[in-house]
Amino acid sequence: MSRRAKIFWIALLVVFAGGLFYLRSLARRVFFEPPAHSDESAKARLSEAVLQSGAGPNETAVLFFPSLSGRGLVAESRPIKWAPSAADRVRQVLLALAEGPSQRLGHPLAAATTVRAVFLTLDGTAYVDLSSDLVSGIYPGIEAESLAVYSIVNSITTNIPAVKRVKILIQGQEVDTLEGHADLTEAIVPDPTLVKGNP
Amino acid sequence: MTAIAIEWQGCFDIDFEVYEKGKRLQSLKKHLPGSWRKLLLSLTLLISGLGLLLWPARTLRSDNFVFYFPNSRRIIPLEVIDSVQYLPLLPVLNLVGTLSGLTERRNNLKVAFGDSHIELHDGDPRVRLDKKTLILAAPVRVSNGKWMVPSDFLTTVMARLTSQDVEYQIGTNRVFIGNIKPGSFTLRMEQESSGAKLTFQFTDKVTVHTESANGKWVMFLGDHPIQPLEQSFHFQNPYVSEVRFDDQDGLPKLVITPSAAGLNFYPELSEGGKTLRAEVSKPAPAQPPPQTAKAPPPATPSSTAATAPPVAPGPATGTAAPAGPATPAGPPLPVVALDAGHGGEDNGARSRDGVLEKELVAQLVERVRQALLTTGKFRVIMTRTGDANVTFEQRAVTANVAGAAYFLTFHAGDLGGTSPQVAVYTYQSPGLASPSPEGGANPFFVAWDRIQENHLAQSGKLAQTVEQDLAVLAGVTVDPATAAPERTLRSVNAPAVAIEIGSLSPDVDAGPLTDPAFQLHLSSIVAEALSALQAGGA
Repeated sequence: MSRRAKIFWIALLVVFAGGLFYLRSLARRVFFEPPAHSDESAKARLSEAVLQSGAGPNETAVLFFPSLSGRGLVAESRPIKWAPSAADRVRQVLLALAEGPSQRLGHPLAAATTVRAVFLTLDGTAYVDLSSDLVSGIYPGIEAESLAVYSIVNSITTNIPAVKRVKILIQGQEVDTLEGHADLTEAIVPDPTLVKGNP
Repeated sequence: MTAIAIEWQGCFDIDFEVYEKGKRLQSLKKHLPGSWRKLLLSLTLLISGLGLLLWPARTLRSDNFVFYFPNSRRIIPLEVIDSVQYLPLLPVLNLVGTLSGLTERRNNLKVAFGDSHIELHDGDPRVRLDKKTLILAAPVRVSNGKWMVPSDFLTTVMARLTSQDVEYQIGTNRVFIGNIKPGSFTLRMEQESSGAKLTFQFTDKVTVHTESANGKWVMFLGDHPIQPLEQSFHFQNPYVSEVRFDDQDGLPKLVITPSAAGLNFYPELSEGGKTLRAEVSKPAPAQPPPQTAKAPPPATPSSTAATAPPVAPGPATGTAAPAGPATPAGPPLPVVALDAGHGGEDNGARSRDGVLEKELVAQLVERVRQALLTTGKFRVIMTRTGDANVTFEQRAVTANVAGAAYFLTFHAGDLGGTSPQVAVYTYQSPGLASPSPEGGANPFFVAWDRIQENHLAQSGKLAQTVEQDLAVLAGVTVDPATAAPERTLRSVNAPAVAIEIGSLSPDVDAGPLTDPAFQLHLSSIVAEALSALQAGGA
């Protein structure tokens, strides 16, 4: 083989190897790496998961709302078609709380609150990541803020037995309080003694 | 060092062999027994260690130097060498620009800094800047491999290297670089019969957060840079011995050293944050002095000096010795920590007529302070003075450091129903299921940030006492004491309750809550409840 032919074949081999390397990295990017979703698309996927629950049988969810006149929570029941996974059920409960009570009761979550994410851990802790719109719906004060927090915690733990405690995050961050009162530094266990009225 | 030690060993141990046989050091080593070798090695290491320990004797102490920039501040440790303050050259230059070249030889350093070239020599006060020779107040040094320049380098050389303003007062540990107008203050002290008043007049608005540390009061003055006219003030009176300005950690603050232990300290900010008045006074006696003619035996100076409260010189007699019988020394009064919720950027709740929770509770806390002092049974500290941002941790630390006997945090919020209302809360740990009214379980170990869990029983007693006494308030609805996860209480190492007045919400006016009669009545009842509890506890 002439010297020129050798150079040609070597160059061809280098180009071929480079092409193979590029194709391999392209394939990895397309098939193995998760697509980078925007915040909105992630929320849409979560909402879709909740809406897909319409195929299940009609059941009853018990929600707890802050009482306007007394110091406690009042229970309300409503029909619901549960999603198959516990995380989506947590999300369903939160969305139902954001819709508000049917009676004249307080709102634990502002209607504009977005459930950004829900995670469940094996020890029964549910991490719920809510948007900062949450605080706009809460009346100010120690009592009002505490009742709003326990409204969320009691509603989730009552309807999803796998959840024993709830850790509330705001905009993906750990926070000390919602509005300067209720202690959110650790996961919260439900307080059944706050429930004053039944559905 | 090792060689010297071995020679010593030879002389002490087998020196006759040295002279007899004329052997040199190498042959001596062969004759040394193993135990002696170990001893020699230990001695060598000990001497070397001591030498290393005592070597940096010329560096007497080190402090920090604060560089204030318009939007930030940086701290660089300085060294004091032969009574002269030195700064590390390269970190200082990096603060104001970028080094473009560096050439270091044995005793010489050349630095390219932007378009300028600086040349320094170890032990030489002359600095070559481009084609000029500038002379520093002290020679350049190399310390631990770092090139050090005296602090007047900032004005002599650095001011020519940067286009920004450089304001440095020789002898201070701070420099202002850029468009900064540091504030300043004057101090006036007035001594009275039962205390002293310190009046600080600031040129710019400050916020004040007070803490107690190592028997001193520390008042943090917010973020605005301050260049004090005088670094410290010394007094000779029974109340305050020193007032010192400090910003070594980049935080401007006043450190006040009391002349004696057990004095009360009440700072108050006024005139839009430009005037700070601080009152230092003796605590009122716990009980009225005995009325009988039977005077206690005069106490010897040695027995009273340690515990008796300081006595101010009487204005009429002009002598320091008290005319009457000596007051029997008693235990220090218990401390009540009062916490006004929110503050600074956190307004808390707002009423329909624009009353802010942070201002309302600050007003109420001041009335409670006055009521508690009137009883003469307590010392009072406040976790927030003025409109300052104070974290939950800082509030707890203030109370814990002072060894508070009681902690009361005041809030205003929506309680539903009609105004005025009062609710009292103890702490409910969010991680524990509803505690019993007598208090939660007392676990063997409690994390420090959840220390309130160890006081739930006493806090419950405090809440019940306050609530029962409040029940006599005419026209005021008092809710039963209950537990709530109130964050402020979490890390307080004392019986602690939250008192919430209401309703303060966007739907109602705050008139009933701002009514002085309501606030005074509430304050006196809280003071009476604490007095009763203290008497019962005693």
